[in-house]
Amino acid sequence: MKLNNLVFDKNSFAAEMAKLRNDKHFDYLVTIVGEDFGEEGLGCIYILENTDTNERLSVKEMAERIGDDYVIPTVCHLWKSADLLEREVFDFFGIKFLGHPDMRRLYLRSDFVGYPFRKDYDMSPENNRYTLDDDIEPDFTYEYSLDADGNLQAKQHKLFTDDDFVVNIGPQHPSTHGVLRLQTVLDGEIVKKIYPHFGYIHRGVEKMCEKYTYPQTLALTDRLDYLSAMMNRHALCGVIEEAMGIELSDRIQYIRTIMDELQRLDSHLLYIGCCAQDLGALTAFLYSMRDREHVLNAMEETTGGRLIQNYYRIGGLQDDIDPNFVSNVKALCQYIKPMFQEYMDVFGDNVIMQNRFREVGPLSKADAISYGVSGASGRASDWHNDVRKNHPYAMYGKVDFDEVTNGMCDSMGRYLIRIEEMKQSVRIIEQLIDNIPAGDFYIKQKPIIKVPEGQWFFSCEGSRGEIGVYLDSKGDKSPYRLKFKPMGLNLVAAMDEMLRGQKVADLITTGAALDFVIPDIDR
Amino acid sequence: MEANNKSYFGEIGDALKSLATGLKVTLKEYFTKKSTEQYPENRKTTLHVAQRHRGRLVMKRDENGVVKCVACTLCEKACPNGTIKIASEMVTTEEGKKKRRLVDYQYDLGDCMFCQLCVNACSFDAIEFTNDFENSVFDRDKLVLHLDKEHYESSLPNILDGGAPLTIGKFNTATK
Amino acid sequence: MFDFSIVTTWFDSLLRQTLGLGDFWSILIECILVGVLILAGYAMLAIVLIFMERKVCAYFQCRLGPMRVGPWGIFQVFADVLKMLIKEIFAVDKADKLLYCVAPFLVIIASVGTFSFLPWNKGAEILDFNVGIFLLTAVSSIGVIGIFMAGWGSNNKYGVVSAMRGAVQLISYEMSLGLCLVTAVILTGTMQVSGIVEAQTGPWNWLIFQGHVPAIIAFLVFLVAGNAEANRGPFDLAEAESELTAGYHTEYSGMGFGFYYLAEYLNLFVIAGIATTVFLGGWAPVNIGIEAFDAVMDYIPGIVWFLGKTFAIVWLLMWIRWTYPRLRIDQILKLEWKYLMPLCLLNLVLMTIIVAFGWHF
Repeated sequence: MKLNNLVFDKNSFAAEMAKLRNDKHFDYLVTIVGEDFGEEGLGCIYILENTDTNERLSVKEMAERIGDDYVIPTVCHLWKSADLLEREVFDFFGIKFLGHPDMRRLYLRSDFVGYPFRKDYDMSPENNRYTLDDDIEPDFTYEYSLDADGNLQAKQHKLFTDDDFVVNIGPQHPSTHGVLRLQTVLDGEIVKKIYPHFGYIHRGVEKMCEKYTYPQTLALTDRLDYLSAMMNRHALCGVIEEAMGIELSDRIQYIRTIMDELQRLDSHLLYIGCCAQDLGALTAFLYSMRDREHVLNAMEETTGGRLIQNYYRIGGLQDDIDPNFVSNVKALCQYIKPMFQEYMDVFGDNVIMQNRFREVGPLSKADAISYGVSGASGRASDWHNDVRKNHPYAMYGKVDFDEVTNGMCDSMGRYLIRIEEMKQSVRIIEQLIDNIPAGDFYIKQKPIIKVPEGQWFFSCEGSRGEIGVYLDSKGDKSPYRLKFKPMGLNLVAAMDEMLRGQKVADLITTGAALDFVIPDIDR
Repeated sequence: MEANNKSYFGEIGDALKSLATGLKVTLKEYFTKKSTEQYPENRKTTLHVAQRHRGRLVMKRDENGVVKCVACTLCEKACPNGTIKIASEMVTTEEGKKKRRLVDYQYDLGDCMFCQLCVNACSFDAIEFTNDFENSVFDRDKLVLHLDKEHYESSLPNILDGGAPLTIGKFNTATK
Repeated sequence: MFDFSIVTTWFDSLLRQTLGLGDFWSILIECILVGVLILAGYAMLAIVLIFMERKVCAYFQCRLGPMRVGPWGIFQVFADVLKMLIKEIFAVDKADKLLYCVAPFLVIIASVGTFSFLPWNKGAEILDFNVGIFLLTAVSSIGVIGIFMAGWGSNNKYGVVSAMRGAVQLISYEMSLGLCLVTAVILTGTMQVSGIVEAQTGPWNWLIFQGHVPAIIAFLVFLVAGNAEANRGPFDLAEAESELTAGYHTEYSGMGFGFYYLAEYLNLFVIAGIATTVFLGGWAPVNIGIEAFDAVMDYIPGIVWFLGKTFAIVWLLMWIRWTYPRLRIDQILKLEWKYLMPLCLLNLVLMTIIVAFGWHF
């Protein structure tokens, strides 16, 4: 969607946002985009959704300058997801959020100097050498506020008490599915508090995109959430195509939809396996990995990749489907359908697994929305958040499928949703595979792609939530600002809430059932 | 466990049944055909590699072994990583026209991220990706290739056609 | 049936009479010889078990397992042992060095100790006390001290959590384990290992046939508790690689880790061996009361019977290990105290009644 930003006065901002949240029911904060608007200064764009009507709007708020600092009042008491999102903006742009209780960096090292996403940041290699010193982390944090004279005040908060038993789960840990570090305060086996630490594989993808041409930015999307490679790229292509007003042929839409669903199948199969593996059931893990191999084989014949698919491009597809694609996918559907029962038999219905998953990591619907826990994990809290239904794109408005939800609000619910979603994916694929219309697989574009001026936001349903892309174009061949809304950040943000008072073993279970992918969070 | 309202013994019964189901499934798999494909034993026999797999970049050549590249450097500009470096010189053809001629086409396989943007950018159909994936060498310098000078041959017989056929739902565990 | 005591008596008399050695020297030589034999057997079995685990696990998982080192991968374990031997053993900063170094030895001592109780053949019981079974459970408990010391001594938070889990789990499951053995002892009337096996020779005299219902229950509970005792999945909470990386042996490398690895596999064998001894007749062959058949069965040496039965149980335990996910610590304790313990006590009473009224076969 093209953004038409609401702008509030800096004094009434907090009150207006509260009004949007409480009176107009904009209770889902999709993302906060920090941006250096050049001469205008630094600011944020808040994208909000009304979960009843699925209406979206965006609010633009410029930061107030006080001396060398930029400040904006926090909204983290309105939307819990704002906690980490504001820290991200602080990390990259140095905007201090007044009243936010924990203003630490989120991705970069705590000894990093400067704010790299500001346009005046010195990018010269001499000043950006990688340090080999230890990153001494402070065990305190700051809360900023303005005093009566309008000066910035910092109040220090301690993160731990003296007798806290702190265990670092990660960054090198088999069950964090990558390099995530969860600093966990334990009381015996009971979790008291979790501080997530990100950025171990932060590659500055968004910053890189500002220097890349539009086709070049695509090359990075497969490396975000590698299990949603197709959807990531779909979202980025989607936003560029929408901005440029490219009409795609039906053939492209059909193939994109099938590919997205194959990717979902692939990702969910890995999920089913990883849930088992994190519980020590290696055999169940290998069963789903075996079947995932067939999904990947079917995809690879057409895309040429297994993890880095590299298939969509602006205006269509990299290549037409493989001659055997239709028959392969049909064979795959036939093969995979009886397998869902096998996963349930060997793992999903197992009494040990049930005891490990039921009532573990509870998250109420209100919290799921407040934390922005989208995707299957949010649907397990009975939140109808499927982007494919709410904001249909590609063929999703025209195919028959159910949005799977349940109200179990626990890890078991999240697991069952994935199983059901795989069946729905097969259902979608079967509807489309026989009817792929003839037509172009690529709408020819100019050699140098330029996007008209404006701001756009486009979302796809990724494998583990909503993947959104915000694009601000000044009419150049490179984006002025490109921001990916990661799926996993909100999931990890909610872990603290879910796990307080639960056992440390449940942390592993909940992490597995939430299904986050770290490169997607770190970008 | 406390949440459901089954009796103590009913619970045990259900639990044992689910455990037995699990054992049944694993026992069945114990005797079914395995799925390990034995690379490298199968590399010249039952190995399948998708034809479109991006293994490395090669230059297309006509029957005389001449490359089509005209050193326009579109691929060099399209590459996000600076993988390709083209050197060219201006020569005068027999008709007296000035023409750019390729001197060196350097491709660093170690830097390549296989995004295919160079192939997309090429208007002369001069380069392509092959599915030849056995590219490992002991020295990083050996990954820097000069595509216009090399005599490319695939490392495996008939790999460029995809090798052995692929059947979805089956693995070829044999080595012969 | 071949009686191995012929060999041992012959050797004893060889030392004492033919060579004319005194008590001290002959016993010393015999002890050393037996010790070497135990350790050699221990190492051999470890290699066999590790290979078996790899192959069996692979087959359950639709894989082929090791295929490279030697035909069908049979030399894989030797390669692994070699690798482990040449790995650097490093000391952990701020670790309690004494506990850290002693711990693996305690674990391996407990494992070798229990291993020595197994009756390999008629007349080939190595340690054969009149309170054998009782002593065996006592010796096996030394292992938990090793686990605890390792977890505490290696200055690692995962290690401490794992050590706590290991200790609480082992202490709990010792309960059922002991009760199951006591159930068997009631029937056989002796705690001596050789006596228990002797009581099971003859047609349909294996304990699970003799003691029917309560013996079968005791056997099954024994397998569960034994699995937990050997720290194997689904009860491998102390290791719990997905939660605690490697638990108490996170900080060990080289042979220090190797000892834990060995002990884990041998504990599996020992548990299976005890189950065989106590419930499946140890080295006693299958006798069904038909003389011709029994004679053929008796012809097969006892060690074959013993190993055959033991490995069958090992396979069974592997099957279980590679099917189920891991329990959580409170669930594992609930299973023991809410289900297995009461069951064992009831079973004990049942067995007592059956023995008292002579309702067994």
